[in-house]
Amino acid sequence: MSQPPPQFRSHYLPRTHAGWVAIVSFAILMAMAQPPIVHTLANRIEPSLWGIPFLYVYLLAVYVLMIGVLIWAMRKGV
Amino acid sequence: MEPWVVSTSLIFVYLLVTIVLGVVANRRMTGDLEDFLLYGRQAGFVVLYLTVVASFHSAFAFLGSGGFFYTHGIGFWAAGTWTVLVGAITYVLGSRIWAVGKRFGYMTPADMLADFYESDAVRVVVALVSVLFTILYIQVQAQGLGYIVSVASGGRISFEVGTAILLVIAAGYLMAGGLRAVYWTDVVQAVWMYVAIWVGALVLAERLFGGPVELWRRVVAERPDLLSLPGPEGFFTPGMWVGMSVALSFGIILQPHMMIRYFTAASGRTIKWLGATTPIFLMTLYIPAALVGLGGALVMPDLEVPDRIFPELLFTYAPAWLTGMILAGATAAAMSTLDSILHANMTVLTRDIYQRFVSPGRDERHYIRVGRLIVLGLLVVGYILSVGTSDLLVTLVTLSGAGALQLLPGVMGVCFPTPRPWTRNGVLAGIGAGLAVLYATLVIWPHPFGMHGAIWSISANFLTCMIVSRFSTPPSAETVARVHGEVERFVYGDG
Repeated sequence: MSQPPPQFRSHYLPRTHAGWVAIVSFAILMAMAQPPIVHTLANRIEPSLWGIPFLYVYLLAVYVLMIGVLIWAMRKGV
Repeated sequence: MEPWVVSTSLIFVYLLVTIVLGVVANRRMTGDLEDFLLYGRQAGFVVLYLTVVASFHSAFAFLGSGGFFYTHGIGFWAAGTWTVLVGAITYVLGSRIWAVGKRFGYMTPADMLADFYESDAVRVVVALVSVLFTILYIQVQAQGLGYIVSVASGGRISFEVGTAILLVIAAGYLMAGGLRAVYWTDVVQAVWMYVAIWVGALVLAERLFGGPVELWRRVVAERPDLLSLPGPEGFFTPGMWVGMSVALSFGIILQPHMMIRYFTAASGRTIKWLGATTPIFLMTLYIPAALVGLGGALVMPDLEVPDRIFPELLFTYAPAWLTGMILAGATAAAMSTLDSILHANMTVLTRDIYQRFVSPGRDERHYIRVGRLIVLGLLVVGYILSVGTSDLLVTLVTLSGAGALQLLPGVMGVCFPTPRPWTRNGVLAGIGAGLAVLYATLVIWPHPFGMHGAIWSISANFLTCMIVSRFSTPPSAETVARVHGEVERFVYGDG
């Protein structure tokens, strides 16, 4: 039989420095991939990268960074 | 040799491979229910990775996504958001689901919620929601398969016959080898679908435009309306962007075929690595889909059924062998989701309904036999649904995802300890309110004020759950300490 936890501590707030870095970074990047940013600042064709429209490249970069945060969190044991 | 002969032959070669894998998996079965339903909780990283991505990506990834880029333009690149979210949810929520599942022997989402909320009513409602909304998903996949075979054979194999053949084969290897057969075939299907869509898109881009970069330049010059939000038809409003991100990430993760995969992992670390890396596969699959959809909008601007853009381009511009390989890949995408859903529904109905209420206390081989009979029943229901309707694939996927999304408050109540836990009445009332609002905001008044129905429904669900929980009896202190204690230890202790 499992023993009950000694006292309640929130599971919604990180308990380590690496946890804070991971959650804040991911949240910022997620905000960058959501309205209003994607529908205003990022919603443009130029400047393009090798002819590929800005919005597409911008979102790809944000997605790659978000995956990077997840892998970093895993390696840090978050 | 005529293109349709090559295409159809390659699809049937692929189907033969899945049947062989089903037979081999059958010989490895132990006769144990957990082995049949949960792969013995021994799935390692590679197998689990490939079955998760194969189950997530379906006929929709091959047909619906290209069609969406074709019709609505670059807005569908929002897909990257929900695929990355799937990784994060798996990392945080999936690992907790694995931990309590392993510790307390849960086999289904309803097992987990019924134990924590101490309620058979919760078990039945969760089981019914799980089955109801994933049966819609069977319809989507089976329709996709019917389209693929019909197109590949140049109309020589009808949509109805194609659907029936592929449903029977998927059900056959599932009945033979259980989840082991599903996982093994998913490994082949994941690799095949990924290679197929990338090779197909790059070959088409090269043949039609001189390469992907030139394709993008042509789209910029000729169809700039496809390259900004909310798109030519105004679909990707901010509300739709957020709503689809939520519905197609949380909503799909909460479907039983995805949650059951968490229970099958060999370790919590496997689940966390899964969460950190699955978005690589899931997100990059939509890169070639963009090339297909946007390129298709230039060369075939007046297509009647946008979902067919990929096969139409292939038959018109690609060599027969490539068309066959890619359509077999599309078949793989649909079948890998279909077999997972058939398995999940079988597991839910066997475990949560039959074993619990109809005939408890029987030996495990009896439940395996019943599970196989249930698959036969699902086969018939899936077929009838598939040939009876013809809605757009993506609309059905979204409806399915938003339905399972209603389990979110209940699941979070189990996996995230709070000072005052939610209650069974709160969870049940929340699901009821969520489903009512979902129906209203998807069917009666679709996406009010430009906000996706999923957002309205989950908001109503959370609000109702919180209010009702405030005035009803929570689970016993022993149960809360047992389950939340396990979560605490897994996440912050020696997990």
